[in-house]
Amino acid sequence: MVPLEYYLLLSSAIFCIGLFGILTRRNALYFLMSVELMMNAAILNLVAFSFHWGNLTGQTFALFAIALAAAEVAVGIGIILALYRNFGDIDVMEAATMRW
Amino acid sequence: MAFDFVPAIVLLPFVSFLVALFFGKKMPKRGAYGGIVATAGALAVSIWVLLSVRGGNVHEVTYYTWATGVGDQPWELTFGALIDPLSSLMLVIVTLIALLVHVFSLGYMNDEGETDLPRYYAGLGLFTASMLGFVIADNLLMAFMFFELVGLCSFLLIGFWYRRDAPPSAAKKAFLVTRFGDYFFLIGVVAVFTTFGTAAFAGPESFPALAEQALNGNFDVWTPGDLGVETWFTIIGLLILGGVIGKSAQFPLHTWLPDAMQGPTPVSALIHAATMVAAGVYLVARMYGFYVLTPTTMAIIALVGGFTALFAATMGVVKKEIKQVLAYSTISQYGYMMLALGAGSYVAATFHLMTHAFFKALLFLGAGAVIIAMHHNENMWDMGGLKDKMPVTYLTFLAGSLALAGIAPFSGFWSKDEILYEAFIHGLNDPILLAGWVMGLLAVPVTAFYTFRMVFLTFHGNPRTETARNPEPLGWNVKGPLSVLGVLAVVAGFVNMVPVQKLTGIELDYLTQWLDSGAEGLTYSGYNALLAEYAGYEAGVVAGSETTTLLIAAGLGLGLAVVGVLVALALYNVDEPVEHTDKLGDAKTVLYNNYYQDEFQVWLSARTQDVAGGADTFDQGVVDGVVNGVSSVSLVSGDRIRRIQTGIVGNYALLLTLGLTALLVVFGLLGGWFV
Amino acid sequence: MTDTSRGSRKPGVAAVALFGVLVAVILSSASGFGDPTGFPADESVVHNIGYALFDIELGEIASEGFLAAFLIIALALDVALDSAVYLAKQEDEGSVVSALTDGGRDIASTDSPGSVDASGTTDSQSAVDSDGGEP
Repeated sequence: MVPLEYYLLLSSAIFCIGLFGILTRRNALYFLMSVELMMNAAILNLVAFSFHWGNLTGQTFALFAIALAAAEVAVGIGIILALYRNFGDIDVMEAATMRW
Repeated sequence: MAFDFVPAIVLLPFVSFLVALFFGKKMPKRGAYGGIVATAGALAVSIWVLLSVRGGNVHEVTYYTWATGVGDQPWELTFGALIDPLSSLMLVIVTLIALLVHVFSLGYMNDEGETDLPRYYAGLGLFTASMLGFVIADNLLMAFMFFELVGLCSFLLIGFWYRRDAPPSAAKKAFLVTRFGDYFFLIGVVAVFTTFGTAAFAGPESFPALAEQALNGNFDVWTPGDLGVETWFTIIGLLILGGVIGKSAQFPLHTWLPDAMQGPTPVSALIHAATMVAAGVYLVARMYGFYVLTPTTMAIIALVGGFTALFAATMGVVKKEIKQVLAYSTISQYGYMMLALGAGSYVAATFHLMTHAFFKALLFLGAGAVIIAMHHNENMWDMGGLKDKMPVTYLTFLAGSLALAGIAPFSGFWSKDEILYEAFIHGLNDPILLAGWVMGLLAVPVTAFYTFRMVFLTFHGNPRTETARNPEPLGWNVKGPLSVLGVLAVVAGFVNMVPVQKLTGIELDYLTQWLDSGAEGLTYSGYNALLAEYAGYEAGVVAGSETTTLLIAAGLGLGLAVVGVLVALALYNVDEPVEHTDKLGDAKTVLYNNYYQDEFQVWLSARTQDVAGGADTFDQGVVDGVVNGVSSVSLVSGDRIRRIQTGIVGNYALLLTLGLTALLVVFGLLGGWFV
Repeated sequence: MTDTSRGSRKPGVAAVALFGVLVAVILSSASGFGDPTGFPADESVVHNIGYALFDIELGEIASEGFLAAFLIIALALDVALDSAVYLAKQEDEGSVVSALTDGGRDIASTDSPGSVDASGTTDSQSAVDSDGGEP
């Protein structure tokens, strides 16, 4: 049996790697990938606790979350398309007109 | 019966004010006839009231209570009338002169083709109503209110020709200088109310009576702090004196009166010679029972009066315009009245008030006649030789001048002589009063000199300009009032020929007896008793007997007056007079510039402006600065904080992360997660 | 393809800091977790997930019912697919132009300028159903 805290450490590491990507990446697609990573970290957390408590709710919920992640990416790609059309580039630093 | 009509005395001129204001444009003489009818009516009622007061009938009535005190304060603020010998006499004087001035205005204003006359007659009507209201006032607050109204009418009438530069400025100066004095008067009124709970002039509950009882220790009055009762009464007297000095144009608040000559001459005759400036002196006489209790105030009044008499007389010597000479003469003569009041002679002051009203109004109206004749040129050096062309004016003017100079048997002699006599005999026991007497005595020859300089330059010698050779003829609306006043200037003195009485024993002191009748506490002998008891005034004698003292004093006065006349005769009664006053050199410059008092007062008001400027800076810098500073905190901080919204998603994510981290750390520490 | 457009790395420190905080929290609470309750060895976990998805109370392992969520997510995925297609459409033409499914090669007959390029093709199949799967 792997103790729970290893799962939690792993999930928080993946989360922070995803967060690192969001904070530093300029290309919108990489941004989206980092968001996916964070989501995966959360899903991993769910599964770990499901095993800990012996209840399948966590795993089922994780399935739904994976499905929704896919849907969200679809919509995200569409948004990136719109971003490209309006700013000519998918650099997230470029799209800064909603500012003070 | 007559007393029921007392309100009509005030209301008739007020109605003529309203009529002239609203309907004047449609009337044939623009409101003059309304004014004449109103003042004639008021004069008739005043004479009837005067006859009713004979025998000591005093009438005191409250017409309207406009405020009552609440709680502990039983004060009441009322409008009422007090008719006694003094006020009824003053009513007759004021209404008579107002009537004569209205008639004269027909000639001076209407016949000369002046415009805006409804405003003029409205101003005259309002002034007459206010002055009469002041005279009948039965309490100090009502007197103060009418005092201020009279000042307002003076402002309106001096600035009548407001399209020129000088009159509005002179009106403003008159209003501000008198207002400065009235500020102290107002504080005095409040002090009287606070101290005595009443401001009534007459009756056992009036404030002079209560003041006397307070000094006896029979009545408790409020005093501020630990001040003694007598000191506090002196202070109250001095506060009210502030308003008197302003209104009666005494030093140092005299500077407005010469500039007030910018108004039309009938206005100068009515307001600035006979009535409004008399208001101050009348006020002191009205509350004389209060003033006699405080010898310090009396001494100050006498000193101010005597000084002003001499001071103004010296300035009148070098003036070129006929109205300016008369203005300084007015200041000087009111100085005499103040000297009389300070020296303890209520009767002499009232007597001089009466005779001065007549002869000064006469002189001003005469000057007005000369000005009409000279086509509104006032410079005496452009006149000359008018006596042949204007005999009525000349004779009446001469009568007035003889009265002013104090030559027997004209009215001015009797009143001025009585003032100087009383000042002398009381001054023998009191050095300050003696100093006042000396100054008043020195002013006598100067007065006579400048008066006759004026007469000779205007009427004698050869005409110096074309206008003087062919003066404008005058109508009877000008000559009529002059004649009436001329007769009065001659005979008015006979009502109180005290010297003759003292020498021959015949009872001739009608005025003294008149002022001795009346209500308890308001009589001449009553005041004398108070003077002796509280102020310590005693009559002294010189060379053994009263008769000798009288002869010495009268002789000195008359002699000096004659000397002044003779000097003027020698210098100016020549065919081609020259400006002898140039021989005074630099002294003439000082005198001509009125001892630079006007410049000094302008400088003082500029300093006040500096203080105001400082207050303004404080208000804008500190008070507004604090308020603006508070808002600028909000504005500046908002301006800085909004720069967080850079629009870059990464920055927002960073902020989120940092916030989350911080929250976790805080909760962890508080909740013991890290243990 | 490498990303040459990386921004500055300094904001990443916040991510590291967060990681540090999380590690600290996890390690300090690690002792309180106890032993994990695993799943019984003889039960099929996948079958039980299936039972949970359809609210069929057949299996031994405890779970909540997810039928409502199943149906809702079917709907949500459908909506997501349609919205993705819609967003990928080009606005400046009236007609519906989908991206070409030919690997991006321009087809001369339809001359739509600035057609959607290498962002990738959008799959026009129906909504992805996540399937209970067959063991």
